[in-house]
Amino acid sequence: MKVTYTSWWAAPLVLGAVFGAGVYAVAVLDTVVRTTVSGGRLGSGVLVLPIRRAALLLLQERTVTERPDARAWALAPAMLLGLAAAGIVVVPLDAGLAVADVSAGIVLFGAAMALVMVAVFLHGWSANSALPLVGGYRFVAQALSYEMPLALVLIAVALPAESLGVGDIVSSQEGLWNVVRQPLGLPLYLVAAMGLAFWGPLALPDGADLAGGTSAEASGAHLLVWRVARASVLVTVSAMGAACFLGGWQGPWLPGWAWTSIKTLALLVVLVSAGHLLPRIRPERFVVVAWAVLIPLALVDVFTGGILAL
Amino acid sequence: MTDRSLPVDVAFWILAAASVVSAWRVFRADSMVRAAYWLLASFVGVGMILVLLSAEFLGLVLLLMMAGEMTIMAVFMVMFMMNPAGLNPMTMVHQHRMAVTAGVGAFLGLAAVGLLAEFPIRPVTASEPTAELGVELLGDSMVVFQTAGVALLATMIGAVAIASRRGRFGDAQEGSEPPGGEQ
Repeated sequence: MKVTYTSWWAAPLVLGAVFGAGVYAVAVLDTVVRTTVSGGRLGSGVLVLPIRRAALLLLQERTVTERPDARAWALAPAMLLGLAAAGIVVVPLDAGLAVADVSAGIVLFGAAMALVMVAVFLHGWSANSALPLVGGYRFVAQALSYEMPLALVLIAVALPAESLGVGDIVSSQEGLWNVVRQPLGLPLYLVAAMGLAFWGPLALPDGADLAGGTSAEASGAHLLVWRVARASVLVTVSAMGAACFLGGWQGPWLPGWAWTSIKTLALLVVLVSAGHLLPRIRPERFVVVAWAVLIPLALVDVFTGGILAL
Repeated sequence: MTDRSLPVDVAFWILAAASVVSAWRVFRADSMVRAAYWLLASFVGVGMILVLLSAEFLGLVLLLMMAGEMTIMAVFMVMFMMNPAGLNPMTMVHQHRMAVTAGVGAFLGLAAVGLLAEFPIRPVTASEPTAELGVELLGDSMVVFQTAGVALLATMIGAVAIASRRGRFGDAQEGSEPPGGEQ
């Protein structure tokens, strides 16, 4: 497929716009879902609230712990945000339009998402504090558990496309989307996505039971960047989910970029809602479920993809 | 090389320098987590150089594997050393004379290969380098390797199932006694 590369100055602009809109959408959705679920009333302030919270964090003092690994502590939030950006550049906005259509795009996404484990572990480890450290170890256990199902469902969508490029994966869904062709794919992907963004039931490394986990010692601008980075990871996995399972830019009437945005937003709504509707799962329970149930199901999904490819 | 351009050259030298420096930092770090992640940084540089060589798949898979492996290595080293956080400073090097000899020997050997060997110049032509690489690496043996891979995977799962505490042979700690001191 012919792909037009956006010019070098357009890439940061596109990324900034996508993450700016995406993170804001996550923040608004979060408030809307929480208020609706708890039977409250949505006021007009719902659109301003995220900006107010961000401004408050910017003004807040940044706390320091005793003898931290200062470099790793400063690196972790920036690294998480950078990895989210590295993951989303391969997602095509429209037919033939991606920030970077790498021939092994799905592998780039996988590599960036695997390095998320390093960013979150460093964030928990470098503060030199007990609860963040527990959070960091929790994320390693969680990441090793969702990593296999995630890799397998992505292999399953790449098989019928006979390509590792995300654009080709979207093109291969012409006629019938992967969400129908490979019914196990999207649910498994969403569980892994929730684990990746440590969101909702899998917000274990930053869980309330650890007083905030890896971000327990964070405040001010550091905490703001960490939260923005986490929301960016959520946007990235939603965009990739829309491309891999919901046919990306394909759809009637509207232009391609609109369909990509709508589908990404739909997955964001599902993930954010799940965060408020599902209870938090215990880490050891999740590890057992992931290895004993999710990986076998993901293997079945790979066989489905293989049969489709034949 | 026909389309070697200045940005690629600059990127190569920056990545090569970063790889060497972070590899050196592995041995200067005083904590197991730091040492593991300096090694990961070195691997990231090598992976990016592979991407520059149009081996996108190999370079990215290197990052994909190393992210998990370095974290697991760090966690295991912390567990074995009974240093709960890994933040406590400790010496990470030992057997100095042996290590220096081996290091200098390996460097001289590799440098000699790098300077003296005649490397073939074969620019990548295939539109799908990933597929070509697979054929190049495994050729006709693809099915054999895949079968061996699945057999190894089954063996590992079997070993875990047998050894796990809640395995089919009952409690793994049944009949074992805690290590006691002399009476």
